[in-house]
Amino acid sequence: MRLTILSPLCLVLVLAGLCTPAVARVFIGVVKTIEGGAVIERKGETIPVVTGMEIRQADTIKTDRHGYVGLVFSDDTRISMGPNTEIAVDDYLFQPLDKRLSFIVRLIRGTVSFISGQITRLAPESVQLVMPEATIGVRGTHVLVKVD
Amino acid sequence: MREWICVGCYLAASLFITACGHKSTVILVPDPDGSLGQITVSNAAGSVEIDQANQSTIVRDRKKPPGAPDQLAPVEVEALFGKVLSNEPPPPIHFFLHFQSNSVQLLPASSQQLSEIITAVQRRAPTRISVVGHTDTMGDKAYNIDLSMRRALAVKQRLVNSGVDDTFLDVSSHGEENPLVKTADNVSDAKNRRVEVVVR
Repeated sequence: MRLTILSPLCLVLVLAGLCTPAVARVFIGVVKTIEGGAVIERKGETIPVVTGMEIRQADTIKTDRHGYVGLVFSDDTRISMGPNTEIAVDDYLFQPLDKRLSFIVRLIRGTVSFISGQITRLAPESVQLVMPEATIGVRGTHVLVKVD
Repeated sequence: MREWICVGCYLAASLFITACGHKSTVILVPDPDGSLGQITVSNAAGSVEIDQANQSTIVRDRKKPPGAPDQLAPVEVEALFGKVLSNEPPPPIHFFLHFQSNSVQLLPASSQQLSEIITAVQRRAPTRISVVGHTDTMGDKAYNIDLSMRRALAVKQRLVNSGVDDTFLDVSSHGEENPLVKTADNVSDAKNRRVEVVVR
């Protein structure tokens, strides 16, 4: 039943160019600011961070002892990272049309400011900041975390 | 022999650090717009609610509950996070565009906003732009999504024609699932029928 409703809808979306084949990657986030040194670890590769670079699901972002990085996500979430900081984007889904919403960030070490966005507004229970000893549930919006 | 002792000490020390060295500090601060949110910090041993500005909790062990909320002075927050706070990227800019009924033609006021969008894109470079169609809850869902998508694509085309690089631009529809104004089902709402252009 569900399928019969969904398939014409998906057909419309395919025709509209939304459900493009798997090759097209959905944009999730972008590096807006970088000062000092920082890298992204992605599928075993280590890539130096530059402004305008895209963030992808499962990326680990690391700053060095002089590094500062500012990230903006597609749902308006903003993350500011201080020096000697490491975070991992464990899960990110911002697809309100399919009610698929999730944002799980792991804070491994360092200092981070987190300003939540539309995912928190639409589905607060699906946003989690995971620290080594506990997890933060965010019902809006501006949270500072320091993991020593 | 000496080296081995050193290696042993190092291993013991690093095990000790991994076992007991962690300490996480969490602070709720006001939003840039002045409002205040709410957070819950929890682990298997318990949880703490924080809903006051500059209130914090410290967690040292996953087997112990997070510490009771503690009020910090603004100077203490500044000392811990000063440059991380001043380095927060500016909020993305949202432009709200509206259309003639049942059409992909922008209303005149919205059409005039296109030049503001182009200026914002240039000022925010390097940036990423999203063009997102939204509908109200009135009428046929699939038709509404299709119309909002066609409207978003029309806006994209006008931006690309004005020189915006389409590799940095994505188009989607959120249907009626992300309204500006929450309404019941089958409610016509001009504010919710929109295309949002987000410049980051």
